[in-house]
Amino acid sequence: MRAHQLQHKLGKWLLISIAVLFLGCFLLLPLVLVLVSALSKGLDVYWAALSEPDALSALQLTLLVAAISVPLNLVFGVAASWAIAKFQFRGRSLLITLIDLPFAVSPVISGLVFVLLFGAQGLFGPWLAEHDVRILFALPGIVLATVFVTFPFVARELIPLMQAQGRDDEEAALSLGASGWQTFRRVTLPNIKWGLMYGVLLCNARAMGEFGAVSVVSGHIRGRTNTLPLHVEILYNEYQFVAAFAVASVLALLALLTLILKRIVETRVAHSLNRGAHA
Amino acid sequence: MSIDVRNLSKRFGRTQALQPLDLHVASGELLALLGPSGCGKTTLLRSIAGLVAPDTGQIHLHGVDVSDMPVQARGVGFVFQHYALFRHMSVFENVAFGLRSRPRATRPNKTELGDRVNAVLKTVRLDAFQQRYPEQLSGGQRQRVALARALVIEPRVLLLDEPFGALDAQVRRELRRWLRQLHDELKITTVFVTHDQEEALDLADRVVLLNQGAVVQSGSSDQLYMAPASAFVCDFLGETNHLQGELRAGQIHIDRARWPWPNQAHLADGRVDVCVRPHDFRVVGADSANALQVTVQAVRNLGGRARIDAISASAGPINIDLPIEQFSDLSVQPGAALYLTPARLNVFAV
Repeated sequence: MRAHQLQHKLGKWLLISIAVLFLGCFLLLPLVLVLVSALSKGLDVYWAALSEPDALSALQLTLLVAAISVPLNLVFGVAASWAIAKFQFRGRSLLITLIDLPFAVSPVISGLVFVLLFGAQGLFGPWLAEHDVRILFALPGIVLATVFVTFPFVARELIPLMQAQGRDDEEAALSLGASGWQTFRRVTLPNIKWGLMYGVLLCNARAMGEFGAVSVVSGHIRGRTNTLPLHVEILYNEYQFVAAFAVASVLALLALLTLILKRIVETRVAHSLNRGAHA
Repeated sequence: MSIDVRNLSKRFGRTQALQPLDLHVASGELLALLGPSGCGKTTLLRSIAGLVAPDTGQIHLHGVDVSDMPVQARGVGFVFQHYALFRHMSVFENVAFGLRSRPRATRPNKTELGDRVNAVLKTVRLDAFQQRYPEQLSGGQRQRVALARALVIEPRVLLLDEPFGALDAQVRRELRRWLRQLHDELKITTVFVTHDQEEALDLADRVVLLNQGAVVQSGSSDQLYMAPASAFVCDFLGETNHLQGELRAGQIHIDRARWPWPNQAHLADGRVDVCVRPHDFRVVGADSANALQVTVQAVRNLGGRARIDAISASAGPINIDLPIEQFSDLSVQPGAALYLTPARLNVFAV
């Protein structure tokens, strides 16, 4: 083997080793540790930590928040990307920038915005108190914060896809006599199906895992406004390590599930993009 | 179904895509909208379809004002440049789309729908490809699916945007012949957009030439080719030599050459732009008093004809095409002098 070939090979393996080592230390090891710690006192303790009422209510709240905010962002995301990708209008680039805002702003700030708006001293605070509407430290606040933080995922995924596909298909459908809704359901939606699914998965993962923004607006009321990530933090702060890791393992499991689904959808997205380029 | 466009104009931002213009398409006519890119021909076609909302003007289909009708209600068949086939649907489903989209009351039942789709697919000779998907078809086949999809709704007019633009030369010529036949069978009023003058002249009953959003000339291919209304038309319909000359009492003076120009009614005496196509030059003997003398610079054999690059002392570079037999008889060499008279010419004011 020639010297430069050997060098080339060595370089390749060196890079791979570094990447694997890094991933192992910073991603895989913590994940394994979470599971090991969660099960360190046996399955009974693990199960007890999960079936405890506060944990169950946190799980319930997390699923409920995701169940509300993900569909909302699905609708907003499709509407926003439709507008941006298929039409030219004044303020279009401003809208694109606004969609990215939640990515650019720290989640804690996102949460604080809602405190400033709906808190007792906030802009709408007195009016809300007068009419006995609870937004902060209640479900509406948590949903609002989650919707805000997870807004970009669907839109970010769809805008480039819809831009690449152009307006021809929709115009063809309209010229053939289809109504706006028929066009959307039978032409647009099938075209963006896999991209949309991908965006929704990412959105869902973040909605279930969001900590910062939700932490600010939730008020940490046990059994009422605690989501899973907040519950983990509380358990940890109270030195209930096994219980904390047990609950964390549920979150990790949800994340893994999302990753597997994402992997499946990803190949479909690549496939449909390829087809789009050829057809 | 006739198409009547009156006073139509459209502006996109700062560009005036269409100057206010009129266009009439007779029932059963096959009309070409020809012009360079950006001349507004596609905007005009899309306005007729209802895909573009014009700033001013009306569009009448068979006497009915459709200006305020949405695209769905106009009953036009539109074929897109890149076909815009629905990639998640089979050929059959693509063609069936228009029928399935109808309101329940007028939607054909399953057998009728199948029959009609099959009939149209037979017309475009794709009945064997029903279950294929667009990505499994060649360019020419996709084009025919797009046409079938537009035809199945029994449109009142058929509009085609650069129908052969994305195909290679061989398939393009075949499809052209075939589309002409299909039109002769169906007799459906058809407008197509193209930037290819050969395509327009070959296929259309009548050609409307557009430039910078306005109609420059409209007429049969013969009229446009033989009697161009301007130097632009002359240039656009084929290669043209522009010679600087002077018009004096029915004669064009270039150097010592004197060419007659009898039909000068609309031209005043003075400097003129003399347009002669390369193949319209005749080579004559040196003793011919009225011929233009040029010097040969290069000669090339282009298959059936010879191309001569020549230069005239006062009129500049001139391209000449000669039939290959005449060319070998003349045995032209670079540096030699040639004497030219035009078999056909057009003259425009400068």
